[in-house]
Amino acid sequence: MHTLISQFWQLTFSGAVQGFIYVLISLGYTMVYGVLRMINFANSEIFMVGTFATVVITRDLLGHPANGPDLHGATLIFTMLLCLLGSMLVSGLVAMLVELLAYRRLRSLGTNRLAPLISAIGMSIILSESVSLLTEGRAVPDPEVLHKSSLATILGANIRIDQLLVVIVAPIMFFSLQRFVNHTRLGKGIRAVSMNEETAKLMGININRVISITFLIGGLMTGASAFFFETVYEATKFNIGFNIGIAAFTAAVLGGIGNIRGAFVGGLALGLLETYASAVLGSQWKAITVFIVLIVVLLFRPNGLFGEAVQQTRV
Amino acid sequence: MSNLRDQGAEFWAKWDRPRRVTFVIASIAVAASLPFAGNFSITNILNTPISSYQDVLVYPVGMFVLMALGLNIVVGKSGMLDLGYVAFFAIGAYSMAILGTHTHLNMWEIFPIGIALAMFAGVLLGIPTLRLRGDYLAIVTMGFGEIVRITALNTQKIGGPNGIANIPSPPSLFGLKFNISHPNSFFWVVLVLILLTIWMIRRLSIRRPGRAWEAIRQDEDAAELMGVPTLKYKIWSFVLGAGVGGAAGVVYASKAIFISPDAFTFNISVLILSCVVFGGIGNIWGVVLGGVFLAYLPERIRFISNARQLVFGIVLVLVMNFRPDGILPRKKREKALLTKDDLGGKND
Amino acid sequence: MKLTSKKAIGAIAVVIVAIVAVSLVATKGTSYSYYIAYQGPLTGDNKQTGLDEIAGVKYALAKYNEAHPKAQIGLKQVDDQGSGTGASVVAPGTAKDKSIIAIVGPAFSGASIASFPYYRAAALPMISPSATKVTLTDPAVKSDFGGPYFHRIPSKDDKQGPSLAHLAIKGIKSPVVYSVNDQSSYGVGLDGFVQSTLKATPGVKVAGDDTVDGANTTLDFSATISKIKAGNANVVIYSGYYAQAAGFVKQLRNAGYKGVFASGDGTYDPGFITDAGTAAEGALLTASSAVFQDAGATITADFTKVIGSAPGTYAVEDYDATNILLNCIDQGSTTRDAIQTCINKGSFKGLMGNTISFDANGDVAGTGFINSFVVTGGAIKSTGQIK
Repeated sequence: MHTLISQFWQLTFSGAVQGFIYVLISLGYTMVYGVLRMINFANSEIFMVGTFATVVITRDLLGHPANGPDLHGATLIFTMLLCLLGSMLVSGLVAMLVELLAYRRLRSLGTNRLAPLISAIGMSIILSESVSLLTEGRAVPDPEVLHKSSLATILGANIRIDQLLVVIVAPIMFFSLQRFVNHTRLGKGIRAVSMNEETAKLMGININRVISITFLIGGLMTGASAFFFETVYEATKFNIGFNIGIAAFTAAVLGGIGNIRGAFVGGLALGLLETYASAVLGSQWKAITVFIVLIVVLLFRPNGLFGEAVQQTRV
Repeated sequence: MSNLRDQGAEFWAKWDRPRRVTFVIASIAVAASLPFAGNFSITNILNTPISSYQDVLVYPVGMFVLMALGLNIVVGKSGMLDLGYVAFFAIGAYSMAILGTHTHLNMWEIFPIGIALAMFAGVLLGIPTLRLRGDYLAIVTMGFGEIVRITALNTQKIGGPNGIANIPSPPSLFGLKFNISHPNSFFWVVLVLILLTIWMIRRLSIRRPGRAWEAIRQDEDAAELMGVPTLKYKIWSFVLGAGVGGAAGVVYASKAIFISPDAFTFNISVLILSCVVFGGIGNIWGVVLGGVFLAYLPERIRFISNARQLVFGIVLVLVMNFRPDGILPRKKREKALLTKDDLGGKND
Repeated sequence: MKLTSKKAIGAIAVVIVAIVAVSLVATKGTSYSYYIAYQGPLTGDNKQTGLDEIAGVKYALAKYNEAHPKAQIGLKQVDDQGSGTGASVVAPGTAKDKSIIAIVGPAFSGASIASFPYYRAAALPMISPSATKVTLTDPAVKSDFGGPYFHRIPSKDDKQGPSLAHLAIKGIKSPVVYSVNDQSSYGVGLDGFVQSTLKATPGVKVAGDDTVDGANTTLDFSATISKIKAGNANVVIYSGYYAQAAGFVKQLRNAGYKGVFASGDGTYDPGFITDAGTAAEGALLTASSAVFQDAGATITADFTKVIGSAPGTYAVEDYDATNILLNCIDQGSTTRDAIQTCINKGSFKGLMGNTISFDANGDVAGTGFINSFVVTGGAIKSTGQIK
């Protein structure tokens, strides 16, 4: 309790950083759920692949040495942009691949809801085991490019540049996505499929294309999150996706799965909740606290915080 | 041409009672003699490298089949997605471990206690959460599974990460010895539990609960409107599933002698669910086949040590894509009300 | 698609034929008259430890087979995933396989405890390179005791824990200590001894303790770090493995923590510095052995050439454990019983020139020393033995 009071703003800040990382990943779950009504089980591994994309780009493509000097100015901006776009692209493509291999055929057969779930579980095993074989199961450090300088101390919270970056850029990405879904032609197509697939088909929407693009967008967001994760934590491992995936999925459900705004609130709430719970009860109990809060929330609001009520932002 | 499961059913329908009884007895005899298959030159292809074939038959094969049957009551019969089934397995196993090491009760005495505790946990979780639908239920059950594991991991009184060692083996029964050098006895116990579970599911399927589950699975709202007390029957199926999981846990703990929280991870829940869907959701024989195959495969291909999980993933994707309803799917429109003729002759 | 029975039977037949074919091909390899087994995590979350370890075993074996072309020894890989559950699946089969005459392993303490009943019943001798839980060699704790067949090379946690605690607070006027473990069997055990030592040491203030999730990598330690800062700790002791420790120390330093960071032999690995970079500077470490690289550049280069990667965690212990077994086989012990006698009676030379012999409970005889190290200039430097 003492820690929570004396370090409140510090905890809030780090919780928000963690929360925004969750927000972007839970978009991956929520977008897919919106159009398919299915849990994209492989999303956690799409995240994991994204973190490796950042590592490969900095370490191998740009040849930045493991403990090399920090970058500055234009080189820094170029490197980080390249990593961000690279991670997004790789994750986006992997997400499309997952859709193609694990979902498409089953969707065209119109099978029971569980077959795609198991097929996606298979895909996530394939992804994580392939990376595990390639890296020999080791943790892989990501070379530091951005010096983690402290910008200011506000209310006792140490504001670090990398964390500030997440807190600023992640919401921008989120709101651009929301705008995209609400206002563009393609976004409207996604929403149409989400509301009623049959009607959308009759309106001349190419369902396969829309679903493929939904996976792509979910993957892009998850990939961006992977980049932010690497910028802050600078390491990854083949099994990194598992826990963070569960957390992000929980966040999506907390907010109301299938609901874009819900992912935002859910992700942020989860990040803060985890951090506060770790401070008060000890890190080992944070997962339990999260699940208990989730169960309680669902008891009172069976469709999550935002649920189905906000129809127009439903993907 | 109908599918394999329907063909099987046709054969069954044509047979008269003595033929059915012979078939059932013969099948049980074949299953019961499986542990000996490793010793003969033709069937020793079944032997697993590194791990011992007779032990693999108990865990994972037997246990997975048993748990998959239990989960099938929840997922296959009444259509609720449960991602935390391992919790009940853990509760059974920890009941056995704690009571076995702290009291003088033996496995046979703890057995009903373990089942009761698992069922009680099922009620406790079921009453508040079974009102939730679909994927919301999935994540709540997953959360429950993790809560049980993390609590065990962080409670030093029950060993924390070290788990509990020296769990006593069950005393002999009908002249069968139970200890680490007699894995076959455990296999037969598991086989009996599997048969009992199958018998229970078949009995319930044709009675009121089975019809209620079927109605819930097809359309919950309609069922509710027609006067089916859906919550009550959902809790029943959940609790029965939990009981089967608890039974598996008790036997597992006394067979393995040692348990620790890492035996009860989310992965096990996922694996058991995979067995159900892979084999043929809702169809007992498919579920059995799925459990046998998915538990046995990783052990059989142990010689490719590093890549075996990868192969496992590829098999899941391929089979689900080409047989989405599982290896042995249920009948296209599973009849909730079976005629008396469709029943196993032994049961009436 | 209509699911016909023909297709179903076809699919099942293909799978069966594939399995049969693959296993026939797989069993066609060279067969040896005697095998030793390595048991440890070769898949799963902890597989990097197992892969590093088995490299040490393979290297020792390759050297032996090179010198004995007529009497080659094979290696069987027993993957227990580092868990007791995994071990209870593989141990019965390993015990029954008569061609295996001894085991290097089990690597982890939990897996060891789960395996003991099977190996005791089959009289199969083991030498573990890395299981450090105290009770494994304590006959008073029946549930965990592995004797007489269990032996181990590394020192026990009760030796290391106090040393680590003393090393961490050495030279600090008013130490305020925060201890962290990784929830693993190893980390929790070591942390227990660290904490009890701290509590018994006058003048030490224990600011608190926390755990990080080591099994599934969550890399966010911000809450733990906030607690360390809230408690104004100037000493942080981490009990766990290096990969997680590297991430932890990085974030700790990035958060502006300037005090002491100390950790045990789980962190004693070149990988710690590779992963943590400059954040590792000044870290204090304890371990009961040296790193393989200290044995000289020639043998390290040879190791890298034979195995294809540089020696890693516990490579020395694995090399030594394997050599002890090979030594016994060379002397004519080719049954489990003979090897068991040979291990217990014999005295062996370790890679670092030390002498290894085992006491009645399976620990290395003599006091067993703990070395202290500090990370400076991107390398682990020895700062001598702790009494």
